[in-house]
Amino acid sequence: MFNLIKKDLIIQKTQIILFIPLIIFLILFARDISPIFIFLVAGAYISANAYVYDGMVESNILLNSLPYTRKLIVTSRYIGAMVYMVLSMAMAGAVLYLFDYSYDMMDMAIAAGLFFIFAAIAFPLFYILKPAYIGVVMFIGMIALAIGFQPAARFLERNLITITDFITSLSTTMLYLSGAAIAIGLYLISWIISQFIYQRKVF
Amino acid sequence: MENVIELRGVSKALKAFTIDNMDLQIKQGFVTGFIGANGAGKSTTMKLIMNLLQPDNGEVSVFGLDYASHEKEIKDRIGFVYDSNIFYESLNLKDISRIVAPAYKRWNHQQFKAYVNQFELPLNKPIKKFSKGMQMKASIAIALSHDAELIIMDEPTAGLDPTSRRELLDIFQEVMVDGKRTILFSTHITSDLDRIADYIVLIDEGKILFDKPIYELQEQYALVKGSTELLDPDTEAYFIKIDRSPNGFQALTKDATKVKEVFGNHVVIEEASLEEIMFYMKGADSHYD
Repeated sequence: MFNLIKKDLIIQKTQIILFIPLIIFLILFARDISPIFIFLVAGAYISANAYVYDGMVESNILLNSLPYTRKLIVTSRYIGAMVYMVLSMAMAGAVLYLFDYSYDMMDMAIAAGLFFIFAAIAFPLFYILKPAYIGVVMFIGMIALAIGFQPAARFLERNLITITDFITSLSTTMLYLSGAAIAIGLYLISWIISQFIYQRKVF
Repeated sequence: MENVIELRGVSKALKAFTIDNMDLQIKQGFVTGFIGANGAGKSTTMKLIMNLLQPDNGEVSVFGLDYASHEKEIKDRIGFVYDSNIFYESLNLKDISRIVAPAYKRWNHQQFKAYVNQFELPLNKPIKKFSKGMQMKASIAIALSHDAELIIMDEPTAGLDPTSRRELLDIFQEVMVDGKRTILFSTHITSDLDRIADYIVLIDEGKILFDKPIYELQEQYALVKGSTELLDPDTEAYFIKIDRSPNGFQALTKDATKVKEVFGNHVVIEEASLEEIMFYMKGADSHYD
């Protein structure tokens, strides 16, 4: 499994070199965007690229001809996504810190939660969709995210307060914990669905 | 003689294509040529053997093991070559070997380097800049560098120029010298097989028409030419398929000795090439095997 996770790093050597400039670009040219968005982009960067690469060539045939089981291929994808998310967010955090861009741990946590939800929806889709459409779907998804993120964040902020007010009986910790539980729960369900789809996939 | 691959009663229905109740045995230690027209079912069968497709019914076993419980073990012992590029095309061969090598228990880096040198492959050039022949050679170098006992190649010579084809066939011959390996090699260029194949399997419309040693084919099958007056329902039974023209008939038989006995000097009997056998067998009734 380690080999399958490491494979994404080998494939994306150039993209990884572009990673830090991308974060710096976001910091410099989009000063007022939420750090949550930066963390989300950073966290999803490697996994999203990995799917694009795997969709471009018939790499499913390669991976499935090597001594790997289908189960292992999907498992590596889900575990790898978490590993890369943590590493990338830590790196983005370090870059933000160096550029004196203020953020707190909660931004990271919310971004991680959003990533889990985003990945939970996107990953199974990637296994269903034909490789040719993946790029298009990614592109539309990214645009939708870029357009919808700010209003959604504002809406969430407003409603988060309402919700917090509403559940004053619950502590904030409790609230965030349940948010985390939902995000991780969705990710786990998505994992099971992807296993189911990939087992039956025809190459 | 042991079978390295066995398909028993395998059925698979795809959108435009069906394999129904297929039985196939590939013998260990030999080169088996898998022939058939485009779309005859060669690639589908190869995919079933590689577990890229799972049969609807029946069993596929490789090295006597089934995929359900021994997938990793089986694939660790197989080297594969496909007709199209399956490697990440923006990567160079060095990076591809970094991805592939750790997957195999017995990856031999020295061996890989030796093949890379022999094939004169650049290590630092992206695969997409490779010619078709170089891509094939790269696939073959990888397939041969982990001590695979079974090498499965789907149309490895397709799209290659004659010089590269010859080179590849020489390599396959070298690979077979130690006698431990088995090669299953699909192609629609039958002349590739005259030199290297020990067995020939012919497939048409998802059905195996025959599975025979090549010498037997050369001995038994023949092209027969003669006057149409010689044909009647009794004599026609000696032929698999008959082409009639105003000048006479031309037909394929799978019993050259018998035809010689029956027709004597009234017909001309010629050796049938694999291509001719393939051509005449196509569409002929499958009860001839």
